[in-house]
Amino acid sequence: MTRLLTPSPSDPAVAPTADQLRAQVGRLFGRSLYIRTVDTGSCAACESEIRLLAAPHYDLHRLGFFFTPAPRHADLLMVTGPGTTGMAHALRATHAAMPDPKVVVAVGACALGGVYRQADDLTHGGVTGLLPVDVLIPGCPPSPLALLQGLLVAVGRLAERIEPARFRIEGAEAP
Amino acid sequence: MTAPRDGAPQPAPLGALRAAVPTAPCRSGGPGVVAVALSGDQMETAVHALALSGGARLADLFALPAGDGLEAGGPELALHLVYALDHDQTYCRLEAPVTGPEYARLSDAAPAAFVEECEIYEQWGIRPAGDKHLNRIFLSPLAAAPLRTAAPVTRRARPGPGEVRAPHVVQGEAFEFPVGPVRGVAQESLYLGLVTTGEELLDAFLAFFHKHRGVEQQLRGRSPDGALFLVERTEGPGAVGNGLAFARAVEAATGMVPPVAAEATRLVALELERLYNHAAATAALCQATGLGVGQAQAEILLEECLRLNAAAFGHRYLFNVVAVGGVRRGCDAAELRRRLPVLCGELRRVSGALLATNSHVDRLEAAGVLSEAAARRLGLVGPVARASGLDLDTRRDHPTGPGPAGRLLVPTRSTGDVLGRLQVMLAEIDETERLITDWLAADAVLPAVAVAVAPVPGSEPGTGVREGLGWAESSRGESLAFVRLGPDGRVVAARQRPAAARNWRAFDDALRSRNVFTDVAIIEASFWLTVAGYAR
Repeated sequence: MTRLLTPSPSDPAVAPTADQLRAQVGRLFGRSLYIRTVDTGSCAACESEIRLLAAPHYDLHRLGFFFTPAPRHADLLMVTGPGTTGMAHALRATHAAMPDPKVVVAVGACALGGVYRQADDLTHGGVTGLLPVDVLIPGCPPSPLALLQGLLVAVGRLAERIEPARFRIEGAEAP
Repeated sequence: MTAPRDGAPQPAPLGALRAAVPTAPCRSGGPGVVAVALSGDQMETAVHALALSGGARLADLFALPAGDGLEAGGPELALHLVYALDHDQTYCRLEAPVTGPEYARLSDAAPAAFVEECEIYEQWGIRPAGDKHLNRIFLSPLAAAPLRTAAPVTRRARPGPGEVRAPHVVQGEAFEFPVGPVRGVAQESLYLGLVTTGEELLDAFLAFFHKHRGVEQQLRGRSPDGALFLVERTEGPGAVGNGLAFARAVEAATGMVPPVAAEATRLVALELERLYNHAAATAALCQATGLGVGQAQAEILLEECLRLNAAAFGHRYLFNVVAVGGVRRGCDAAELRRRLPVLCGELRRVSGALLATNSHVDRLEAAGVLSEAAARRLGLVGPVARASGLDLDTRRDHPTGPGPAGRLLVPTRSTGDVLGRLQVMLAEIDETERLITDWLAADAVLPAVAVAVAPVPGSEPGTGVREGLGWAESSRGESLAFVRLGPDGRVVAARQRPAAARNWRAFDDALRSRNVFTDVAIIEASFWLTVAGYAR
């Protein structure tokens, strides 16, 4: 019987994106970029896909990404769901607690405004009206590979913000 | 099954109902459904009669505008009670008008109705008689009361929210430990107020309103296909179960009969959904007990299940497979034949290893115990109910189309603990594999890219208002849907009752059964419910 429990370490679909991500995160963040997630009314499928990023097939940790429950440790905020009014305050508070520089990634069709198209008294119809969103990852739900590609874009955005604020040794010449 | 005629033998609960309210008109509400129209003062009598008869399980309670809900000038409300007569393969739908701001209190005779009584108050502003406190379900404390309703109904005089809510009190040595609504990584938003004196859990307050999206209100005015799009996205990991229930409700309302092969194809999708959900629950249980190796192995199998879904039906979570009147996609049977036995074999191997790991099993035994009496009282469904000893399965008790009627093995346990729930789920995987293999062997499914949808009988304008009830056994248990279509074929009113909406009400009971803090994650994983399905 074929054994499934040994996923190939170089899955041809995942490997190119993963290699780019590994290089970027290694160079810019010393292999230590922390992600916080917030659900604002998703159907739980996006959550399932995000959880699978840490599972053996994708193994986000080997690329230098980690999930953190503490927003104060987080560099990147992944938001799912159409932005329910019940979660608006918690979402803004989580975002405010994250230190700068930070990026916001809207994950999935609901967050992008494709499912609950209009804002009403229960949802904002998407998260773009609630927070300044930097990266949009489409898909219903986006597959883990789509999430990896979205993270690659997000890391680029974060890098643009980090470069000007890079720590400089006193007395050294400016780059 | 059609409505019982005079002189024909009747199921016992229906007989008791007819004896209690002999004047109430009784008609067929579609295949396997009996609809009974009650007057306002007959409702309490009927509920008592059904509660005493035994064999009638209150499956849902909701309020909708009375009549067709279309006439101008103020529709009154009607209460709808859906009883499952599981031994008689029948659903009984009672409808009774409500004229004032109050109606007879039903939760005394049928305790399973309490959550819905609270929900109806928030939606429509009517409440059960008496001074019983209601709980907060969907209405955020920040939102104005009540929610979006038909304009004439909001003119109803109603008591202010402060007077009806149950007080949120924590006394003595105990304190409330708040968890959420922003919880762990990639967990759904939910507020858990864990009441404790330090280690043992004494009580829990749960708040679901953060995720309330008002899906049922959003369904109004959509075409059945457009509504199905949203129904599937109400609870992603239950898309097939809930979508199938909704599609069947529309089919019952319009008289559509899906082609046999299409019905078999969507049942294959339903079983695949069960397979990946049970694998996901196994992974979550390992994560909760800190068993890293088991978690990694179960997650590999979960990913393989999702990839099999994508290979067979084109979507990892099986969205867009079910259509009203059939299926939107066929199934790649060759791929299923090739990969399913390997996958199920590996699942069996991993689950066998998990059940032989004492450090894992010791954490599951006697955790989160639910008695059979509690499960029956609260009207639970699915693996949670079966692990507490209730022998319920909609696939067997309310068969539709070419389902596995009569020969479906329904595993049950009597322990009611987390281990029992895991054992039930693992046993269901075997049954799922057998069913899919049988359908594939009989060449009963549609080939890939085939689309099969029944023609719509009587869809011409002017056919009047039509109503239908649909159901399916999702991986979490019985999923129900009720739909009312207008003369133009669009949805006038709809009700969704995913299994999560039923089973969350037992979660705090399970927490209170002599557990400690670290058991919360274990019990939550064993229920394997979604907040999205409850806070729809």
